[in-house]
Amino acid sequence: MTAMVKSESVHKSFGPLEVLKGIDLEVNTGEVFCLIGPSGSGKSTFLRCINHLEKINAGRLYVDGDLVGYRQKGSKLYELKDSEVALKRRDIGMVFQRFNLFPHMTAVENVMEAPMQVKGTKRSDARDRAMELLERVGLGDKAKNYPSQLSGGQQQRVAIARALAMDPKLMLFDEPTSALDPELVGDVLDVMRDLAESGMTMVVVTHEMGFAREVGDSLVFMDGGVVVEAGNPRDVLTDPQHERTKSFLSKVL
Amino acid sequence: MTDNLDKSPSDTPPPGDTVSKSGASGPSPEAIKAIPVRHWGRWVSGVIVVALLVALIFAFSQGNIMWSTVGDQLFVSSVVQGAGRTLLISVLAMVVGVVLGVVLAVMRLSKNPVTSSVAWLYIWFFRGTPVYVQLLLWFNLALIFPVLNLGPIYKNEMTDVMTPFMCALLGLGLNEAAYMAEICRAGLLAVDEGQTEAAHALGMSHTKTLRRIVIPQAMRVIVPPTGNEFINMLKTSSLVYAVTYNELLRSTSAIGSTSYAVMEMLFVASIWYLAMTSVFSVFQYYLERYYARGSSRSLPPTVFHKIKTNMLGLGRERGNA
Repeated sequence: MTAMVKSESVHKSFGPLEVLKGIDLEVNTGEVFCLIGPSGSGKSTFLRCINHLEKINAGRLYVDGDLVGYRQKGSKLYELKDSEVALKRRDIGMVFQRFNLFPHMTAVENVMEAPMQVKGTKRSDARDRAMELLERVGLGDKAKNYPSQLSGGQQQRVAIARALAMDPKLMLFDEPTSALDPELVGDVLDVMRDLAESGMTMVVVTHEMGFAREVGDSLVFMDGGVVVEAGNPRDVLTDPQHERTKSFLSKVL
Repeated sequence: MTDNLDKSPSDTPPPGDTVSKSGASGPSPEAIKAIPVRHWGRWVSGVIVVALLVALIFAFSQGNIMWSTVGDQLFVSSVVQGAGRTLLISVLAMVVGVVLGVVLAVMRLSKNPVTSSVAWLYIWFFRGTPVYVQLLLWFNLALIFPVLNLGPIYKNEMTDVMTPFMCALLGLGLNEAAYMAEICRAGLLAVDEGQTEAAHALGMSHTKTLRRIVIPQAMRVIVPPTGNEFINMLKTSSLVYAVTYNELLRSTSAIGSTSYAVMEMLFVASIWYLAMTSVFSVFQYYLERYYARGSSRSLPPTVFHKIKTNMLGLGRERGNA
């Protein structure tokens, strides 16, 4: 198995505040990798580093064997141009906590937008593919609705379809169910479960321990900008080794 | 009632709709028929206002006004031409203002300190001095630069370049750009940062993100004040009287001063200004409606629909359709 994401001692600071204090981990191709931890532990920040929405300050971060945001020549690092960063991002889908659907476009237009604008896909092809994806997330009948006319769970499923439209090889989920009403969480998790079964590599920041246990292949517990504990989700969640993990899990489970 | 909760239909409608449907399923209680509260205060204030209005109209009817002159002069060719020029200079100045304003807004928001401070300086000057003074500055530019010399490209006497039209266009347009820049900047800043992030995460470039995602959403914030600016411009354009551009006010007062119908011709001008601003208010309404798409659960009603629901009481029919 090759590593889809490889993080070597990744550091990230916002001004004087050090959010990531050396993250080492590997996400294998085809696995569902769950990141859990209290808020402020740096898990979302780390996720955003993977597609270079945040710049790391030290360490090395690789996606599919390529350095994120930089090119290495000899011992020197060169920053990538914006266009090169954009090219890399095509292959990495991201789903946000707050959905971030484009409110001035209908559901199907949201899904069509990136393939048409970024890949130059023909409108009719993009529409066919978008409809297919909306069907897949169970929203074929909502294609013509604007995001404001959809529930949170439906919006998040459109957001997943939108990310899938670029045929990514890696999907990042930033607390995809945290902004949802409890009864809508299930629909979104079902879609994610299907996606995991189809073999997609997924990095999921989540508070859904049930999902992590059932679907996750690996799990990392982060706190204070470091990885406290890592391993098989079933092992870590049922039998945590560290005190910090134990006290966190005792509060959320 | 419980039926609705357990087995919700496959296409769950937004909560607003369910209320009317669930009402039909159960045995509905008798509709309330109560005697409405009498608003005596409304009647009193209404009578007072109408009385004042009648007094005002009476005063005007007694005034020494040649109403026939107003009617006669309303469509005189020089007046119509003046109105046309007012419209022309307003539209052109607005175009200059919007284009330059967008450029200035992007400059102000850029990370380059040179471009952002130049934009700041521009806005500081053109917003900080009266437009009337700016018009006179352009008008008298020949006093300090007798010749306009753009090297090999262009060379001419300044008085030939600075025609009344050019003075009016530059004076109004460059002033407007400063205001439009601030309006556009506010609009761009109003778009949620998550939108840019989502677009970037999908691999869209900065320009594509700006053009496809940010600007269409900023328009919703930008359009209403821009409409106001344009209506303002239609009226502010009367200041170009000072640079001898023959627009509506100048053409009407020319007639007014020769025919001793000063007030009558000012009425003529007012009627034209009102007509133009009214037409554009309606136009603005539909433009806002277009850019509001997706922002609310249902689009705002059109003027005609508003009249239908509020005045004629036909609104219910549409809800069932």
